[in-house]
Amino acid sequence: MSAQTLSEKMISKNHMGINIASVTVGVGILTFPRALAKATSGFDGLISVVISGLVALLIGWLLAKLAARFPRQTFFDYTAIIASKPVAYALTLLVCLYTMLFVSFEIRAIGNIAKQYLFYSTPVEMITLSFLLIVQYAVAGSRIAMLRLNLLFLPVVLVVIFFVLVFTTQLLEIENIRPYFSSSWKSLLEGSKAVGLSYSGFEIILFYTMLMRNPEEGPKAMLLGLFIPVSLYVTIYIFVIGVFSAEVAKNLTYPTIDLAKEVEIPGGFFERVESMFFTIWIMTIFNTCVMWLDITILNLTSMFRKVKKMVWILALSPIIYFVAMLPQNLVDFFAFADAITYFGMIIVYLCPICLLLIAIMRGVKGHE
Amino acid sequence: MMRKFFAQRRKKKTSPFSQHMQQRQTPELTLSPNLADNLELFRTLLGNPHDLLIRTFLIGNTNHTCAVIALDGLADSDMLHNQVLGHIQLMISTSEKSVPPEPDEIIQLLFEEVLSVVEIKKETSLTAALDCILSGDTALFVDGSSELILIDSKGWKTRGIEEPVSEGLVRGPRDGFTESIRDNTVRIRRRVKDPNLRFESSWVGTRSKTELIIAYIDDIVDHEMLDEVRRRIATIDIDEVEESGFIEQWIEDDFLSPFPQAHNTERPDKVSASLFQGRVAILLDGTPMVLILPVTIGLLLHSPEDYYERWIVGTLTRLLRYLAAFFAVFSPSLYIALVTFHPGLIPSDLAFSIAATRDGVPFPAFIESLMMITTMELLQEAGLRLPKPIGQTVGIVGGLVIGDAAVSAGIVSPVMVIVVALTAISSFAIPSFQLAIAFRMIRFFAMFGAAIFGIYGVILSLIAIMIHLSNLTSIGYPYLAPLAPQMPRDWKDLILRAPVTFLKERPQALHPEDEIRMRTGDSK
Repeated sequence: MSAQTLSEKMISKNHMGINIASVTVGVGILTFPRALAKATSGFDGLISVVISGLVALLIGWLLAKLAARFPRQTFFDYTAIIASKPVAYALTLLVCLYTMLFVSFEIRAIGNIAKQYLFYSTPVEMITLSFLLIVQYAVAGSRIAMLRLNLLFLPVVLVVIFFVLVFTTQLLEIENIRPYFSSSWKSLLEGSKAVGLSYSGFEIILFYTMLMRNPEEGPKAMLLGLFIPVSLYVTIYIFVIGVFSAEVAKNLTYPTIDLAKEVEIPGGFFERVESMFFTIWIMTIFNTCVMWLDITILNLTSMFRKVKKMVWILALSPIIYFVAMLPQNLVDFFAFADAITYFGMIIVYLCPICLLLIAIMRGVKGHE
Repeated sequence: MMRKFFAQRRKKKTSPFSQHMQQRQTPELTLSPNLADNLELFRTLLGNPHDLLIRTFLIGNTNHTCAVIALDGLADSDMLHNQVLGHIQLMISTSEKSVPPEPDEIIQLLFEEVLSVVEIKKETSLTAALDCILSGDTALFVDGSSELILIDSKGWKTRGIEEPVSEGLVRGPRDGFTESIRDNTVRIRRRVKDPNLRFESSWVGTRSKTELIIAYIDDIVDHEMLDEVRRRIATIDIDEVEESGFIEQWIEDDFLSPFPQAHNTERPDKVSASLFQGRVAILLDGTPMVLILPVTIGLLLHSPEDYYERWIVGTLTRLLRYLAAFFAVFSPSLYIALVTFHPGLIPSDLAFSIAATRDGVPFPAFIESLMMITTMELLQEAGLRLPKPIGQTVGIVGGLVIGDAAVSAGIVSPVMVIVVALTAISSFAIPSFQLAIAFRMIRFFAMFGAAIFGIYGVILSLIAIMIHLSNLTSIGYPYLAPLAPQMPRDWKDLILRAPVTFLKERPQALHPEDEIRMRTGDSK
């Protein structure tokens, strides 16, 4: 294929940014106002959103720098260069475990929420399984085609959330947002941690930078990629608090979906907008899920080059499905989610930052 | 730098193509100097057909026997009378020079002076001569010479130029392609007076020897793509080709996909517009359907009329069409999902009235829709195949059976009839028949999804279709360009149709070598 067509097989800066936004905006956005409202009081949650957004940006910037040092090299490759092969094997395997667990979490989340908002009798097992099959289908195709789905779905999702926000503006009560600046530093940090869980995902830059046309644009892509979720989270949090007040928001399982519940479309063409909202929202959860599974496969194939992609997909899917079915109830499920994120913090934030430090100290650099 | 690189590659790539074409020739038979032998050989090769015309005559006073051979009906007999036989005989009586004694000199004389025909050539190979005669040329023999003259005398009856049946327009040119490839190239040349327009002729079908022309504009088309098209066409190894559909199916990227990966049209204006965009057209003799490659989803959903009407009209029509595409695929599945799984999503008044009309319908919504949609497919298919006078009957029967009778018999609900009608009308609003067929197929897929998982199944099937489309390519070009991959510059001619003065560049998605359409705008 031509040089032009080849360059189409790579991803641009903006595309990378949209990938990051797509992977970040997923299940977290549906639940975070609850945790945030619990930790802080009302309006102050915004400060937490911004703080954790900035922290995410800092970490993301470091990760992007690390990946940009080694253009066209997989995570496994450059970890091996920086910190020897055995370390690379161990770390990459742990990353695979993390991303795989994340897929389990996402598909289970789909099952849970769909069960709550769309179905009466269909079992969670079937909902989850059908979703996993579609995810498999997406991962089985070409990687760039899979990433292009982000370009198609993210705008749709953003438009839908925009409509929800527009239609709930009239329900916004300033009274609910008060009091301002009453939370202690401790609770603000507590809140930041709670939101921080919803930002996880931007670490895909570690793995997808090798597909970028100009890897040195990674940090800029990170800025764009995190700008979308940060502004989205800020707006949604204001709306959730403004419509429900912090007291109510604390007790809602999925406050963002419940926000959509309040929407009344003039003309009465639809009722129960939250079902429609969640249905569209499946697209972005799908994107998140597909990218995580793809990264799992990407890392595994970078370690074991002889095993085909399809083999991994078929081998991992039963495990993913099984793990997804383990949590028995919502409490278990959210504990599971938190556990994954804490695990991820060490594996994909802390370790790579250490790697970056070592790389800088040793002066190791990849070459194009 | 880039251009040089491409130019070099171009040279390299074209040679295997022409080699390949030569390899397909049958073993050579050469002419013998004896006229009777040659004629006999022709007769036996063709199985002594009744439509083979052989006229032998003597040239002047030299006693050299000559003969013309042609196939009756393929060759233009008026032209043979006036320009060939007439001239030869006139020459003998009026020429001041005497006819030379040597047969080869006679051939030379005839070739250079006598025959007043534009396209004429000498040939020594009998096989090549045979091919030419079979495509309507006339061969002229002179006894004693091992050369013959081939005269282009193609002149069979062709259909006149008519309005395209499959693609009607309110505003736009009325001419369509015909079965004759020569007429079709003329229709394109009439519109593209660019010296860079190229017609690359070859043939496909080892037995049918159907002429195939790859048309493109040399300094616009992406030559990498062109080479790929040539390579794929060179792989075609089939004995007969009746329609461009054969070519399409040979060269498509993914044979499992329900979506068309080459666009066919019988509108010359569409072809010329596509050529100017940087696409390639493939013309085949014997069919009015011209293939346009590569396909992007926009090409299938746009109609030439979008450009002929003013931009506001064009944009709104396009919006309507995208909406129609959505309805054509998803309206039955949404009906199933809403009625079966989520009656709560419908406003309660409407939900009650739907429930009331469904009262007494013995089938679940899925079976009901499946029956109705299948009946509609049947009607559509029956209407296509029937002779026109009976066609109206289908309309009446279909309208009554599907509409009124089915409802009053209590088999389906009236809402279902509305849904089916909406689906049908929407799928007729798709300009490309092939895309409409693809939509008809995936409609069933979405209906099954809805039957199992309700609206969740509908969105999953939508996602699955998008995954498929995102993976799909046409001659290596992403099908969903310029949406995915994103090419914002092309968006002014996607859903929106910007005013023509704004459409300054050719679509980026096709990598045209010359990207700019309007150069005058720059200098202002």
